[in-house]
Amino acid sequence: MKKYYWPLAALIFIALAWLGILVFLSTDVGNFHGDEYRRPAFDFSLTDHRGDTFSLSSYTDKIILLNFGFTNCPDICPTTLGMLGKVLDIVEDERIMALFITVDPDRDTVSRLGAYVPFFHDRIVGLTGPQQEIKRINDACGTFYSKEPGDSEQNYSMVHSPAVYLIGPGGEMRFRYPAEKLEPQKIADDVKRLLM
Amino acid sequence: MKKTLLVILFFLLAVPDALGGEGISIQDPWVRQNPPGTSATAAYMVIENRSAAGDELVDVSCECSSRASLHLTQTSGDSMVMRKVNSIAIPAGGKATLSPGGHHVMLEGLSGEMSKSVVLELEFRSGKHMRVKAPVVSPRDTEVHDHHHH
Repeated sequence: MKKYYWPLAALIFIALAWLGILVFLSTDVGNFHGDEYRRPAFDFSLTDHRGDTFSLSSYTDKIILLNFGFTNCPDICPTTLGMLGKVLDIVEDERIMALFITVDPDRDTVSRLGAYVPFFHDRIVGLTGPQQEIKRINDACGTFYSKEPGDSEQNYSMVHSPAVYLIGPGGEMRFRYPAEKLEPQKIADDVKRLLM
Repeated sequence: MKKTLLVILFFLLAVPDALGGEGISIQDPWVRQNPPGTSATAAYMVIENRSAAGDELVDVSCECSSRASLHLTQTSGDSMVMRKVNSIAIPAGGKATLSPGGHHVMLEGLSGEMSKSVVLELEFRSGKHMRVKAPVVSPRDTEVHDHHHH
């Protein structure tokens, strides 16, 4: 009777090993929190909140979290920037960078961004530049922005994407995080996995 | 003795509710600290209506800002926009949640740096007035869909 135990034990061992491999594959390859969002690599050149030129192609070794907004936005933009600050705190790695590109360059000057952006995290880079360039970056990300008239010429709002875009090493767009997926821990988990 | 304690207990429980204005109560009010260089921010809260009649929040004011208005952030697909609304409905026996990415009170023309808390004056369709003290919370401590994290 005893001799039957060995083949049974071997079968159980093989079954468990297969199960382990399947679990490993499903967690490591699938299950990124962000929505898969493949788009061709692109480059741009803007001015950062310190007044220096910023070219995306200079940072192809980094993972970049990109977000559009404007400083006169009282609800969602500060929420998203606070969230990005938390991602940077959780990941704590020089290879991650967060960008805040204004969609309102007429009002968002370098000095205004310089006061605004570091308030959220000293490693978030605020970017402004010509309308044309900002529109081209929106196109490259597959999104858009427009002016929403307010009650006066100066008091307007902006329509823009609430999403955060993740550009992987090499400049390739990898993931998009829509408004309902802007959770710092989960984005940080994705970034950590990409850095492994 | 027991009776006296019960009566005191009754008043302790009942009075704050009565001060809250006949069935309308405010939970978790907070206002986001405005980043340097900006003069606008948003305030949030949960408004609960325990009465049998629906009501509406129709006006807000704050001594911290020159203007206060009701807004709604609308997200549809890939675009997001903020629109002014005339009122926010609080259904009978229900609640209205003012939170990031949804309804909020927009405060414009802030007079300098905000202190630890601000007082919001709320006006309802039914004629009720309420004063709410809202703590000022740093944006680094709040999240999207995080209704009352402070």
